[in-house]
Amino acid sequence: MSTSTRQTTRPRRIDDALSQLVDSLTPALPISALQDEDYSDPEEALAATEERRHNAYLERAWRIIDTHVPSNTADPGSPSGRRGSFAGTENVNNAADLIKRKLRRENASPELAVKFSNMYSKLLTQPVLSQKWGILYLLYKLSDENEFAPEQGERSRSPLMDDGNLQNMLGGRAPRSRRGTGSRPFDSEDDEGPAVSSSASQRIPLSSKPERQSSLRQDGMEQLNTRRSGERMREERASRAGNYEAVLTDRESDGRADAASPLPSAAATFSPSRSESFENGLLRDLPFNLQGLSSTNLQFQSASSLKLPSNLPAPIISLLNSLAEPCLLYKGLSAFVETTEGGLVNQSLRAAIANELRSYLSLVATLEAEIRQALAAIGDANEPKGVRKGGVTLKRCVVWTRDATMALRLMSLIVEESKDKKGGQLISLIHGFSSSHGDPFVCAFAEKLLAHVTQPFYDMLRSWIYDGELSDPYEEFFVAEGKGTSDEDPRRIATSVWDTKYVLDEKMLPSIITEEFANKVFLIGKSLNFIRYACGDSAWVEAYSKEASKELKYGDTATLEISIDEAYKTTMARLIHLMDNKFKLFDHLQALKKYLLLGQGDFIALLMESLASNLDRPANSQYRHTLTAQLEHAIRASNAQYDPPDVLRRLDARMLELSHGEIGWDCFTLEYKIDAPVDVVITPYGSTQYLKVFNFLWRVKRVEFVLSSTWRRCMTGARGVLAHVDDKVGPDWKRARCVIAEMIHFVCQLQHYIVFEVIESSWDTLQAAISKPDCTLDDLIMAHKEYLNSITHKGLLGSASPRYGSSTSNSAKQPEESFLSQLHQILKIMLSYKDAVDGLYSFSVAEFTRREELSAKIETRTAQGRWGVTDRDLNPRRANSRGGTSTPDIRPASAGLDGFDTPVTLSAQDLAADDHMLASLRVRLRDLSADFRSRLNILLGDLAYQPDVDMRFLGVVMNFNDVYEPVKRRRAAGPSSRDKEKERERERAKRRAAAAAQANGSGTEGSGSIPRETRRERKEFPEQVANGAVA
Amino acid sequence: MPTEADNKRQAARDVIDILEDISKILNTNLNRTELSLCVSLIENGVNPDALAAVIKDLRKETATMNRS
Repeated sequence: MSTSTRQTTRPRRIDDALSQLVDSLTPALPISALQDEDYSDPEEALAATEERRHNAYLERAWRIIDTHVPSNTADPGSPSGRRGSFAGTENVNNAADLIKRKLRRENASPELAVKFSNMYSKLLTQPVLSQKWGILYLLYKLSDENEFAPEQGERSRSPLMDDGNLQNMLGGRAPRSRRGTGSRPFDSEDDEGPAVSSSASQRIPLSSKPERQSSLRQDGMEQLNTRRSGERMREERASRAGNYEAVLTDRESDGRADAASPLPSAAATFSPSRSESFENGLLRDLPFNLQGLSSTNLQFQSASSLKLPSNLPAPIISLLNSLAEPCLLYKGLSAFVETTEGGLVNQSLRAAIANELRSYLSLVATLEAEIRQALAAIGDANEPKGVRKGGVTLKRCVVWTRDATMALRLMSLIVEESKDKKGGQLISLIHGFSSSHGDPFVCAFAEKLLAHVTQPFYDMLRSWIYDGELSDPYEEFFVAEGKGTSDEDPRRIATSVWDTKYVLDEKMLPSIITEEFANKVFLIGKSLNFIRYACGDSAWVEAYSKEASKELKYGDTATLEISIDEAYKTTMARLIHLMDNKFKLFDHLQALKKYLLLGQGDFIALLMESLASNLDRPANSQYRHTLTAQLEHAIRASNAQYDPPDVLRRLDARMLELSHGEIGWDCFTLEYKIDAPVDVVITPYGSTQYLKVFNFLWRVKRVEFVLSSTWRRCMTGARGVLAHVDDKVGPDWKRARCVIAEMIHFVCQLQHYIVFEVIESSWDTLQAAISKPDCTLDDLIMAHKEYLNSITHKGLLGSASPRYGSSTSNSAKQPEESFLSQLHQILKIMLSYKDAVDGLYSFSVAEFTRREELSAKIETRTAQGRWGVTDRDLNPRRANSRGGTSTPDIRPASAGLDGFDTPVTLSAQDLAADDHMLASLRVRLRDLSADFRSRLNILLGDLAYQPDVDMRFLGVVMNFNDVYEPVKRRRAAGPSSRDKEKERERERAKRRAAAAAQANGSGTEGSGSIPRETRRERKEFPEQVANGAVA
Repeated sequence: MPTEADNKRQAARDVIDILEDISKILNTNLNRTELSLCVSLIENGVNPDALAAVIKDLRKETATMNRS
């Protein structure tokens, strides 16, 4: 009544407002609307038309308002009168509830509903409005209307949009066609749904039984359809239809109760009265069951079983079976959410699931409200069939919980599978669902979960790529702290900062990140960490992380990739920059090459010269200070002095571990000290490799030095001393010179090969590798390792016999056959040969002095007028010459054996003693040269079968004119190779014997023995080949 | 008292702000003026159901007019 009075007392304000509203809602009339008017004054006509139209609208508006007012107040006794009492606070909540429910139904996420709740509570605190519910209700109604607007198509999830709409159309079309178009407002009202408001349905007698039933039948058929097809999408739609029904229930269940016939439920095959009451009880308990609580009818036996009452008809049992699923799943999941163990990713998974459960619970709450209302309605109406009128049945509940059940099922599947997984594996698992599952619902859901679950992972990733810190208390990241490496080679511990401090854990690599990407990430963090801790540049890292750090989130892969690429570039550039400028890595490499690989020739030559006399002494008489003094001297006198002092400071000369009986040459070594963090590249292992190479090169150098000094002596001697004894030892010298020349050739070729083919080419490769613009520290390390490997391998220092690739047994049986040992043998032979040649030289010198003495004596005696030579001279001479052997030049072995070899006193016995001494020298020289040759042949034979081209090339260079016959080796089993060894021994012996015979035969012959020897060897060659073939 | 009037206006504005948000969520397609007009109408005792009917009617009318 109040409204009608207000209408009369204050119509003016309402009128004003209403007319304004009409104005704002109707657009200005276009000129074209005035077609049938006279054009005398278009503006006036327009205004007039507008005025007319405005008045018409206003009139209609008033009419609508007027028709509404009495209808609300006319029958306050009707059930809808409860809603008709406008001023009640209950209604304020009602309108809000309606909106909330609507929002929740139409939107997948509860966000909007929550937002609305916030705004609603804010609104309630405002004192200005007295009719808050009214405006809310208005908005609600208007929003309903807009669902029909065709441009709202994107809200596909809204229940009123598809099925509800469809049903309304189906229900509403028939009456409209009958009623005609006379009353448009009511028509439009009806369009909105069959039950927009209780008042409407009551006032307008259009909802006669047949139409209503047809619409309901439609509804039932729809449900039947969905049931039959069983597709999920259809079910979803059905559930939307169900939701729509629920909306209806709120508003008009009472009105419908007396206006419509019972809903033809598909399940209504059993006696209604009993099952009805039972179903009511079940429905009442359902919200609790859905929250995992036991009720009188449904008892939870254990965490995974629900006991159904046994006295129910089968359809209800089957319904309960499907309803039991969410109950049990929820119970299990809530138990899982309560647990606390597991890593961060597990915890975030738990949080995400808890979140989902919350929205599930809110669904349950909505359901509960529906059920309560329906049940209350039954209570009100005292109608046994009320439940079905109310539209809330177990079946509906099943349909409503369908989506939620899917979600719960997926979650419990994830929980189940994640039991023994953690970190990256867990993420991979969920990502597997989101990326490779066919069901779009599952994909979307897993994607949603993933956004939460990956949060800790991305946090870790962030701190890793921006700070270089691993904040991973549960070892879930794909980078892990390196395990203790104490049991490993202790030499490698020093490099742990780079190589072993962190390791990439493939198992933990989530599938959202590719492997290449992970490597990059790993390298970034490692580099940052390295810069911070090993390079002592934490200031830069901090600045960098402050500047570059940004939030990483799941989803925007492109941004992530870009930021990681950036971080990668920056970090690597910085690291290389540090290595180059702060730690002078490249200078060190250069220095190592110069000093340890004998690149600095003048320095090495000087060092060797100055040390030579020193190093000839036994190893235990070497003193460090003398060595360092010589080193200093060598540095100062050579171009090395121009190197930066930082480099020279690291150069040190020392002795290796002393062992008995070695001379200084064997254990002298140069050392280049490397300290952190450069030792990451030049590892301690690498340093030992360098030392190994240096020692080998030093030895070769020494042999070269020795040989060349011997050669020099030969050459100078040949013009002086040796020329005088040419008749006796000339052929020996000739042969010795030939052999020395051979040896020098060998050493030169070897050195040339090592320097130019091995070191320089490897160095070039190294330079190319490390000067690449996008070079990383890992690349550096790899390149350097390659460099060292190629030097040690190609430089014939490789580990024992890699040439017999597959037959390891063979190589195990002949460890002495590795190139290194072969070369050492050859070098040793050269040194002994040099000793023998020295012996020959001193013999020659002694011979020469004796002859000089004799001729001087003869000279003086002749001058005195006596016989130049008397028999008496012989005896004291013998004694004399024996005494004269104490000169240091003369070897003790030959002591006392010379002295008879005068051309004048060639007695048979003297000749024998002389020959004995000379012969032993000759045999020695011959043996050594034959040994050298045979070993060289073996070496060449091995070289010829090297896989490496350069090494084969070395063989070719050494034997360019086929002087040597490389021993052809076969891959052979142990015994046969032993046979071959014997064969070789035999050959060697034969050759020795032949050479001895030849030497004896050619003792006085001046003609060259070398051609003959080669000729002999040529002759021997076929025989050798035959032997090899037999073997 | 101007301050009180100001306060009142401020409060009204707040209310309209909130209502505008709600109406945005609900997709009512009402603009601010229309909303405040509706508020005043309802505050003056007009039945919201009826008002909703009026607005819908007017919209439909204008829509058909525009179409024709």
